[in-house]
Amino acid sequence: MNVTMHWERSWKNEFATRIERDGPWSNWELYELALEATKALTIPQFDGLQAPKHLPHITILPHQYDVARQVVEQMNGKAILADEVGLGKTIEAGLILKEYMIRGLVKKALILVPASLVSQWVQELNEKFFIPAVAQKKSYVWEQCDVVVSSIDTAKKQPHRDIIYSQSYDIVIIDEAHKLKNNKTKNYEFVQGLKKKFCLLLTATPIQNRIEEIFHLVSLLKPGHLGNAEQFQKRYGKLRTLHDDVHLKELIRKVMIRHRRHDTGIEWTKRHVETIFIDFSEAERNVYEKIRQLKSPLLDTSLSHMTLLREICSSKEALFCTLKNMLERQPHIEATIGALLQTMNDIAEHTKAKKALELIQTINDKVIVFTEYRATQLYLQWFFKQHGISSVPFRGGFKRSKKDWMKELFQHRAQVLIATEAGGEGINLQFCNHVINYDLPWNPMRLEQRIGRVHRLGQTKDVHIYNFVVRNTVEEHIFTLLYEKIRLFERVVGELDDILMKLQSPAFSSHLERMIAQSKSEGELKIKMQNFVEIFTNMEDSAHAAT
Amino acid sequence: MQQHDIQSFLERFFIATHCHILERSDGHIRVQLTAEMDKQLMNRPFYWHYMERIGAIGEPLQLSLITKPSATKEGEYIHFGSPRLHQIFSIAKMNGRFIRLYEQVSERSVALHPWLHTNILLSYECDRKQDRLLSLGIHLISGSIVESFYNVLKEKQWGVTVPDYCFTISPLIKPLSGLGRLEAFVERLIASETHHWADEARARWKEELALLKHFYEGIEEKQEEYENEKEALRQRYEPKIHMSVINGGLFYLQAK
Repeated sequence: MNVTMHWERSWKNEFATRIERDGPWSNWELYELALEATKALTIPQFDGLQAPKHLPHITILPHQYDVARQVVEQMNGKAILADEVGLGKTIEAGLILKEYMIRGLVKKALILVPASLVSQWVQELNEKFFIPAVAQKKSYVWEQCDVVVSSIDTAKKQPHRDIIYSQSYDIVIIDEAHKLKNNKTKNYEFVQGLKKKFCLLLTATPIQNRIEEIFHLVSLLKPGHLGNAEQFQKRYGKLRTLHDDVHLKELIRKVMIRHRRHDTGIEWTKRHVETIFIDFSEAERNVYEKIRQLKSPLLDTSLSHMTLLREICSSKEALFCTLKNMLERQPHIEATIGALLQTMNDIAEHTKAKKALELIQTINDKVIVFTEYRATQLYLQWFFKQHGISSVPFRGGFKRSKKDWMKELFQHRAQVLIATEAGGEGINLQFCNHVINYDLPWNPMRLEQRIGRVHRLGQTKDVHIYNFVVRNTVEEHIFTLLYEKIRLFERVVGELDDILMKLQSPAFSSHLERMIAQSKSEGELKIKMQNFVEIFTNMEDSAHAAT
Repeated sequence: MQQHDIQSFLERFFIATHCHILERSDGHIRVQLTAEMDKQLMNRPFYWHYMERIGAIGEPLQLSLITKPSATKEGEYIHFGSPRLHQIFSIAKMNGRFIRLYEQVSERSVALHPWLHTNILLSYECDRKQDRLLSLGIHLISGSIVESFYNVLKEKQWGVTVPDYCFTISPLIKPLSGLGRLEAFVERLIASETHHWADEARARWKEELALLKHFYEGIEEKQEEYENEKEALRQRYEPKIHMSVINGGLFYLQAK
């Protein structure tokens, strides 16, 4: 026979003692109740879910039920939960954890989440799921508690690391798992070394920039599922033919579940995405051109034209911070920088900021403004205030309590929330339905995360997204790059809800596609982009000159 | 177990544990706990420890439980998933593990035969799980084994002593040997059945092991990680059946 059998013999031993001592004996009623309690707790079949009947107070949405069921029945307890932002991945993970605990297949669980979300997870597991989860605060917790929630940053440090490595976990759950896309990081290695029977990785954005990211994520979950690193690179590194896409997609579907909003059968409000093109004023254009003409040796190796060009597209305040730092590191470039600063003084107001103000005034309702730069955040706050518009700042670095407070203020007192940290992880702002992307990140998934803050369960109105792009600048190129990355995501993972306006026909898409596919690192990609931008702008210039 | 079953389970439980039911209505029950149940249910060991230390008599608490959300009374809402119900389940299981009872017969001079009864839980486990309950009785004179024996037992009247003018027959098979025979019976039963679930689990295991081997091929420095992953696969997929006795004991009953 194909099965090992094991008797648990504690009853037998105790029974022997009771016979010897002639009792004590139970009564018939308790004997019956013991059997009935056991019957109520038996698992009648391999299939199906037991957890929902233990959780009558939670509304489990059909897609959440399906996810839990699929993970248990078809994926054998190892899965990437990749629903779009706002569909309740935490509920899905809780449901799966609960199911395994009810079935007695999981006792010891480790849950790794961003530091700012630890207490929220603990609270949800306890209150919604009756799972006695504990936040790791003292080092004895690792060994003495069965369900522990911690941040990776804490867990990977000594003495915690050694204690954790000496345990064998029945399940490991990792929230915001896209942070493990790079296999060279300490966090990745740490997770790779965990002893884990079941594993759930939660991320709405399993691919952010490059195809390898999905390889690393899947290899963490199920090593070998996508082959080894070398083969994967060979076969999919360039992702040219459609055939491979289909094959890869299918493999990925075996370990990843993704629902899009419209798959859920819930009535979702619409998403309107609009691109707003902005023309620089003469003063702004002058600064932009000056930066473009800077000689490369002037720049730190860590910086590029690209950074400075992006900054001036945001605000001179953002640019100023960087220039100041440059000057501190290399005093000999004072003259050049000084000249640049002089030119910057001519910028009285930013065209982009004025446009944002105008838009906010027209909307006349709550608006979230996302920017990449803290300096821009401060500038905008000041600028809006000059025009009688109240705003509150929001940063990823804020503590949980401060985040909640800022959310409160935004909901009841201020018209605008200006946020720098796209993640804004764990903060839900369904009461607002206008988002301005004041400047665009490199990474389309950060746009998706931003929009997910408002376009989620509970949103009752249509959501309006405004993407700002300054014409004839690096922003237009970033814009194109974003489209390309979205395509990569859709080829491998599946459709994505609109985050940019529907594309007409990009001029240099094939070139960019090659560039993305062949670059081995973000650094390399940046350098290539930089060259590309320069070539492209030169071409534009000569075209202008010719006319 | 449905919501209305919960109410009746609770009532029976508190009666069986000698607690006094102060108030009961549809969807609500209020109980005066005994000291013993207070200790097992209310999680206040320091109070009881302190009272015992100073030689005082502790005052057990009352418990008010709601089994229908619509009930207007105050109290703890009890549903199938609530920790309180699971605590009560485990107390019931703990307190109802061992038994010895005599059938109450009205006739005189009846010989009561010794039987060993056990409820046995079988858990079929791999990365998934299914349970099965067996209720087996063995006649400790002849050694014959009866399945679903609980159905026979629950039809009878029971008492803790031999009824007047009746007598018991001493077991020829000792209770512990009887248990051994029941264990062997269960093992034969399992061996005689086909276990597709186990074959399927082994197939999944084999498939993943092959992928794993391939992934770590030629990476010497990752040997430890490979071993960890391999062990995790074993723990996840290896099909096994856990067998345990839930409760059981000696029943003396009239021969048919």
